[in-house]
Amino acid sequence: MVEPELLARCRRGDPAAFEEVVRRTYRHVYTQALRLVGDRHDAEDVAQDAYLRVFRGLAGFREEARFETWLFRIVANAALSFLRRRGRFGELLTEPEEGPREEPPNPRDREVPGVGDVLAERDLLVRALEALPPSLRTVVVLKDVYGLSCEEIGQELGVSEGAVKVRLHRARRRLKMILERAEARHEAEARDEV
Amino acid sequence: MRCEEVRSVLPELADGEAAAPEAVERHLRGCAACSGELERYRALLFQLRALREVLVEPAPGLLGRILAQVPEPERRSLLRRVAADERLFRAVLSVGGAVVGATAVGLLWWRASRRAVAAGAAAEAGEAA
Repeated sequence: MVEPELLARCRRGDPAAFEEVVRRTYRHVYTQALRLVGDRHDAEDVAQDAYLRVFRGLAGFREEARFETWLFRIVANAALSFLRRRGRFGELLTEPEEGPREEPPNPRDREVPGVGDVLAERDLLVRALEALPPSLRTVVVLKDVYGLSCEEIGQELGVSEGAVKVRLHRARRRLKMILERAEARHEAEARDEV
Repeated sequence: MRCEEVRSVLPELADGEAAAPEAVERHLRGCAACSGELERYRALLFQLRALREVLVEPAPGLLGRILAQVPEPERRSLLRRVAADERLFRAVLSVGGAVVGATAVGLLWWRASRRAVAAGAAAEAGEAA
């Protein structure tokens, strides 16, 4: 949480105040960048770029919005710019191919929701997110992790709200499929061990 | 409706933002497999939302690298510029406010004096008649 007093000190030209803002927010910024670009090293580059943007944009920040909301947008923009620069620009704009439509083995036999401890499930989910193409990952992260609307995501990506909904549909389907395959593999391995 | 048709709309129904069409609702009430699929999508969305609260610890040097990318002298000069911009912004606001205020007062004074002139002219016309 960054209080208005700390921001006011930044605006008065206090470098220690800016350092304090970075200290308080960099883990959030790095995590958000990582969710969007899906790679630890790339996420560091995005975080560094985001703080340069924050530093240069502080004069334009007038506190009509919360600082955290403003920062979130800056990180999202830095991550999308990064993906574009890395030659994934086309992937961000064009519709991805549908993945294979195969169903997981015996979905009716499985408990609802899935088994396994929370940490293992979370780890699986993070790896499934990283396995998505950027055009699907960015949409599902902005919508289902951070709660932006499809309209807002369309504005960020420069695509229509309808295109965002199509990608969201595909991303959720593909994530579920990846997770179910991984669960099925785990279960098969556990059976083999017995 | 067939299971395949219903399953094709489950990803967008799972977040509850759009109401399910009546035919889909009816199918879900009678089909344990499809309603199980919907529950799995809901569980997925719940897990995704929970990720928001999970912070990932970056590599130890990141904070230093972020701060080092803008060296101290540059940081000072940039922040001074930010401070100057801030003062300029406030000055522009003050001057703008003063101009608007002066214009409003001037307008009121001009309207009042026009009314006085008009009233004087009317009185003179009455006397002449």
